[in-house]
Amino acid sequence: MTTTATHHRIPLLRLRVPLPRARMAGALLLALLIAFGWLVPLWHDVSPHHQDLMHTLTPPGAEHLLGTDPLGRSMLGRLTEAVRLSLGLALLSVASAAVPGVVFGVIAGWRPGLVDRSLGLVADVVLALPGLLLVLLLAAIAPGTFWSLYVGIALVLWVEYFRVVRTATRTLISAPQVQCARMLGFGPGYIFRRHLWPELAPEVTTLAAFGASTAVLAVSSLGFVSIGLRPPTAELGLMMTELFPFYQEAPWLLAQPVIMLFLMVLSFQLLAGREPQ
Amino acid sequence: MPPLAMSLLQRVCQAGLVAWVVGTLTFVLTRTLPGDMAYRIAAGRYGHEQVTAAAAEAVRAELALEGSAVQAYLQWFGDLARGDLGRSLVSGQPVAGELQHLLGHSAQLAGVAIVMALLIGVPFGLASGLSRHRLLDRLGLALAVAMRSLPPFVIGLGLIMLFSITLGWLPAAGSGHLTHLWLPAMALALGLAAVSSRVTHHAMARVAASPFYAFARQKGLSARQALYRHGLRNVSVPVVAYLGVQLIYLMEGVVVIESLFAWPGIGHALVHAVVARDVPMIQGTALVLGLGFVLLNALVDLACRGLDPLRQTS
Amino acid sequence: MHRPPPLSLLCRLLLVPLLLAALPASADDDRLDVVAPWEINSLDPVQSGLILGRMQVAETLIDSDDTGALVPGLATRWQSPDATHWHLTLRQGVHFHDGTPMTPKSVAASLERTLDRPGVLAQADILEVTPTDQGVDLVLAQPFAALPALLSHYSTQILAPAAYDNDGQVTRIIATGPYQVTQLALPQRLDSTRFEAYWGKAPAIATTRYLAAPRSETRTLMAQSGDADLVFTLDPVSLARLRMTPGLALFAEPIPRTVALKLNATHPGLDTPALRHAISLGIDRDGIAQGILRRSDAAAHQLLPPSMARWHLSDRAPEARNLDRARQLLASEGWTPGPDGILSRNGTRLALTLTTFADRPELPVIATALQAQLRELGMDVQVNVGNASEIPASHQDGSLNMALLGRNYGLVPDPLPTLMQDFGPTGGDWGAMNWSSPALQDIFTELTRHTDPARRDALAQQAATLLADERPVIPVVSYMQTLAASSRLEGVSLDPFERSYRLADMRWGD
Repeated sequence: MTTTATHHRIPLLRLRVPLPRARMAGALLLALLIAFGWLVPLWHDVSPHHQDLMHTLTPPGAEHLLGTDPLGRSMLGRLTEAVRLSLGLALLSVASAAVPGVVFGVIAGWRPGLVDRSLGLVADVVLALPGLLLVLLLAAIAPGTFWSLYVGIALVLWVEYFRVVRTATRTLISAPQVQCARMLGFGPGYIFRRHLWPELAPEVTTLAAFGASTAVLAVSSLGFVSIGLRPPTAELGLMMTELFPFYQEAPWLLAQPVIMLFLMVLSFQLLAGREPQ
Repeated sequence: MPPLAMSLLQRVCQAGLVAWVVGTLTFVLTRTLPGDMAYRIAAGRYGHEQVTAAAAEAVRAELALEGSAVQAYLQWFGDLARGDLGRSLVSGQPVAGELQHLLGHSAQLAGVAIVMALLIGVPFGLASGLSRHRLLDRLGLALAVAMRSLPPFVIGLGLIMLFSITLGWLPAAGSGHLTHLWLPAMALALGLAAVSSRVTHHAMARVAASPFYAFARQKGLSARQALYRHGLRNVSVPVVAYLGVQLIYLMEGVVVIESLFAWPGIGHALVHAVVARDVPMIQGTALVLGLGFVLLNALVDLACRGLDPLRQTS
Repeated sequence: MHRPPPLSLLCRLLLVPLLLAALPASADDDRLDVVAPWEINSLDPVQSGLILGRMQVAETLIDSDDTGALVPGLATRWQSPDATHWHLTLRQGVHFHDGTPMTPKSVAASLERTLDRPGVLAQADILEVTPTDQGVDLVLAQPFAALPALLSHYSTQILAPAAYDNDGQVTRIIATGPYQVTQLALPQRLDSTRFEAYWGKAPAIATTRYLAAPRSETRTLMAQSGDADLVFTLDPVSLARLRMTPGLALFAEPIPRTVALKLNATHPGLDTPALRHAISLGIDRDGIAQGILRRSDAAAHQLLPPSMARWHLSDRAPEARNLDRARQLLASEGWTPGPDGILSRNGTRLALTLTTFADRPELPVIATALQAQLRELGMDVQVNVGNASEIPASHQDGSLNMALLGRNYGLVPDPLPTLMQDFGPTGGDWGAMNWSSPALQDIFTELTRHTDPARRDALAQQAATLLADERPVIPVVSYMQTLAASSRLEGVSLDPFERSYRLADMRWGD
């Protein structure tokens, strides 16, 4: 894995590294989305489930800032709920995939031999299992629940961290400074904090950003095939499915979840700061 | 042992493990799924509003659902060893036959999607990787990020609106004619092309900046000759290697796209099998997908070995 | 010489199929393409007879006309002296698609096989099926006047002996309809062609294709783009858009399918007719009809539609939404609003779960509308969207509170068998739960014995009055069958009982 520093040495390749500006833009966008999801309801508290069949498909206006959906529910209320849900799920599943992924990755990289090989085998098998199958089965055990999607996605995502961290740890552990630290009798905790984590962190954050966008897209795709969350939950994929028939009658409605999903994935992609290697 | 044989052996072991895990996992999970299985299967067979207690009891008796779980589990592996995947609980047809038909359709879709993705992504990546224009690179990046940020079904709907409704060039959905393949394949390909183009771009830029490439130009080869003789082969290694990673994206896209385009593929069937609790069908589908995944990864490995000029000479 | 660059070679190889594919699909222009949501999940008529019947591949012994009156199918006459012994006379000169003639023996064998499987025919309790010279004799365990109606159900379609293997599994579809199967790709596609030796009028259109497209978006887009010639079951919103699409003709016909609320009559909030009446008064049927189904005439105040005149109470005025009256009824049963606005009685809150399923896309939407409407009455309703089979399963284990379902009372032209199933002595999986009425059972028993139309009319009206007063199941809205047809097609019509797509009556215009 090449590091950012080596890219800068070759002038032609400077373009390869998106400027930190892009990362800043990503972070700003994410902050705005978080603010939209969690802060807007504070001053404009409308239920995402309250129906008013007499006022359906109203265009954006003073009473309903983003209009109302076919059941007369406030689009603003629904969008904020959907953003909270998608972001919450993405962050949660990424965090819970990263922790075991990093821990097992470090252990496997540190301890070549039986431990490494058996962990590697597990990872290989999980990787070869269609991740979708796992998510589908879990979604079937507890249909329409948040946790089944979350567990399914986290179970699929952890392998990536494991593989990257294991490879990185292998090289890091044989580096002179780590060898010295070990000879000087520093414990594994210290070595991890001082020598491994600073090197691993950029990789892990990049993976996390990509993982978050994968999670957001996966949830909306599952919503689209009616396996994910169920109505009346406001979820971006479900909202798109519900609003699609109205694309001609009320195009502004369908555009809202599409744009929101796009911005969310975009913010994660920008935040990753690097492109797939 | 030579490294090639070693890596093949590894893949064979992996395939065996996958078979075991798929069998066990689907078995355990489907046994723990909520809802009475007999009712679910009856719903799958007779249509949702025709399920009655009588139909469910008939299903229960016919399939001996109350039988020992351990016995059923061992039975499945025994049958698998003989190449028998059982019969679908819903259609009563042999699973192997159904899978053959479904897998054919999915493979067709995925194959065309990959080829399309390469055809779109690679030339774009080569051009932007070779050119020193900042703008082209930025444009490529923006397009790639945009394509990756849209879920496949949104792309699919957009394509239908454009090519079937507005222009009337291609059929919106269905199967049976070659033209039916283009829109679903393109919906998948655009997402894949986004990544391929970036990987190609990086690889090309790296090759273009390398001493051997500069030497090739210096010895008098034209830009085109240098690209064909020295560039492409080096660029192709990371591009092909990345295809392996993208297979996951492809499989997930397939489920959604098949559902949108009424394409009779394996992803669509898997969703139905899970809903109807058609255990042999779930197991068969998962097994085929898992093994297919191992096989494709092995092929990607082999291709990379064959393509990599460095590895060949050493 | 330099070697051919791999990329351009690849390009050239790929161009060939690309160019081939770009050719228009003109060869198939005369084929009639039908698109509908239902997948074909088996070869067996018990499972997929619905589609085989609609595509006019397989036929039943008895058929029905637009009014629901029974008309000859593969049987030309049916009679019974006592509603227990039945004699069916078979049509002469009928051939199966494999060329073999249809004989009393083959019909008897096909029926016997159907009896082994779950299906509507089980209701009639048939003891014996005997082939005779000209037809088939059936002996029942007890009188069942509606037997001919059951014999028009798709699960009783007649297949040739060669269609089955030794275990009675269907291996090929060899039936008697005007179209015969040429290719079947489960679960999506069925191709068929005109059967030249058909006993009736030969169809004008030679080849047809059925394509299952479960997503309504897909179907709408296929209609809009002109990919399909007949597209069935369109969502209400897209209908408005399709109306404006040139080259399409739209058809709509009310069908005897009703969206209804199934209630657990032992739940403390649902256990008296007054409480169930209050729920019925709390439903804004017109709002649901306008807002969700986009039809002003969709509100259903009785389970059976006016088209089934025998079972519809024409002199009963529809009851509009009346929250005040509903609250009074609830209060008279001891349910009064608590501090949180939710009704309670002796400290128990009125909380209910409404189970429905997503296979019919409008059901979850109507369920959420009902949730909001009943909330105004003070009922705390949770919507649980699951699989359709959860409704009969939770009916059996007693855990169901309320369910929203679509019930087809025109499954067979006579609604009696369906009603007997739904409102039997122990309720029914898709009907009453923990509710039964001995008076209703007596009416049903009499109906199964009597063949006199006037007497049957009177009995049916009594049954309908009882169901309307007791409300074990509350009607909400009625369905409409919708079809978008290519305007090139002539002779298109809708079957109110959804038995056939009537492809054999269609022809291509100029």
